[in-house]
Amino acid sequence: MIVANYLAAAVLFCLGLACVLGRRNLVKIVMGLSLMESSTYLLLVSLAYRNKATAPVLADRPSHTSERDLVHGNVSDPVLQNFCITAVVIGVAVTAVFLTVVVRVAQHYRSTDADDIRELRG
Amino acid sequence: MTGPRPDQRWHRPWLAAVLAGATLAVLAVAAFGLPHGTGPLPQIARHAMRVALPRWGTTEVVSEVVYGSRGWDTFGETFLLLAAVVAVSLLARGRESRSEYVGEASAGRTEQHETDPDERADGEESEARAAEHGEEDSEQPPAEDADDDPLGEPAPERAIGMTVLVRVGARVAAPIQTVAAVYLAAWGYTPGGGFPAGAALAGVAILLYAALGHRAVRTVVRPSVLEPLELLGAAAIIAVGAVGMIRGSSFGQNWLPLAPQQTIRAGGTLQLFSAAELIEVATGLTIAIFALLGMRHEWTPDEGSDDEGQS
Repeated sequence: MIVANYLAAAVLFCLGLACVLGRRNLVKIVMGLSLMESSTYLLLVSLAYRNKATAPVLADRPSHTSERDLVHGNVSDPVLQNFCITAVVIGVAVTAVFLTVVVRVAQHYRSTDADDIRELRG
Repeated sequence: MTGPRPDQRWHRPWLAAVLAGATLAVLAVAAFGLPHGTGPLPQIARHAMRVALPRWGTTEVVSEVVYGSRGWDTFGETFLLLAAVVAVSLLARGRESRSEYVGEASAGRTEQHETDPDERADGEESEARAAEHGEEDSEQPPAEDADDDPLGEPAPERAIGMTVLVRVGARVAAPIQTVAAVYLAAWGYTPGGGFPAGAALAGVAILLYAALGHRAVRTVVRPSVLEPLELLGAAAIIAVGAVGMIRGSSFGQNWLPLAPQQTIRAGGTLQLFSAAELIEVATGLTIAIFALLGMRHEWTPDEGSDDEGQS
């Protein structure tokens, strides 16, 4: 039933997308982007899942498995878990930059409504 | 700053709903085409499983991928984090005096006067400016003890007057969390090593700040301490990789003898990379968060003409 995870990730992504597209408050737009990022974490970790597999750890493996089993694929995918760690760090960095820009925009325009930020409008 | 106008919280919600719904439909169709936990392990993952013990002496394959097989990717990501921290510090930095360069507000005012001389501030802006003036007037010298600060002032409070229960709790939790964070990276049992450990360590600074106020953390949490530390972490990452290139054949190759597995030195240079990453992530996150917290109330100045604020 790992499809449920994929669908949950899709729903999470689209909730974030709707927030980014439809909301006018800049803070909520940043929250929408964070939601979209979170959906990718869920998708990556779900993609790493293998039926009846163990964690990709070579110590203390379950008694019915051998090291050969682990190497030959009876583990969840460590590379996708690595991608997830990478994605989390980049997500934090990007959100921090967005929030700083939002604070500066709020101070400059005295508003967090995206509709008020139109000085660059040609 | 004004809140969203109640009738305009959503901008064309039907369009957002249609686009998000269409995306959801595409993603849902794609979800059924993804492997259902039955696909074979990809080649790179099998490679990582194979080399984790013989080449690095680590039993944690995810850490092997992060710092070994895909170490170059992590190297790049570290500097992306550093770039983001620099961007946040730059954007959050206090306004410098404009004695030399062009004063933007006064230069813009001339142009504004030429294009639209009759423009006046609307009600919202006047309200914001009035609030700002009120804030300026009510500014008092800060109390010696943060707990004596009156609550509910318009400016941000220096410290929330936390109860003794919260403060004792934070004092007890902080050393435990610090040890736990260092343990995560040091023994290498954690997928990712330095990344989750660094985040946990940054959490200690935030916990102490939230419970005890700025005074409790300001000896450590200051740019003159954190910024050199962060660059030291980044330099250590470069050094670990470069020594591998000099002593071995490639950037990031292991150049330390392998200790028995599940010991503190088991991963060779992987552990050094992880420790440097711990410093980098912990200081980077702390700098970014405290730069955001420390952003002053710097509103666009009025430059003397009170009429635009009063109309």
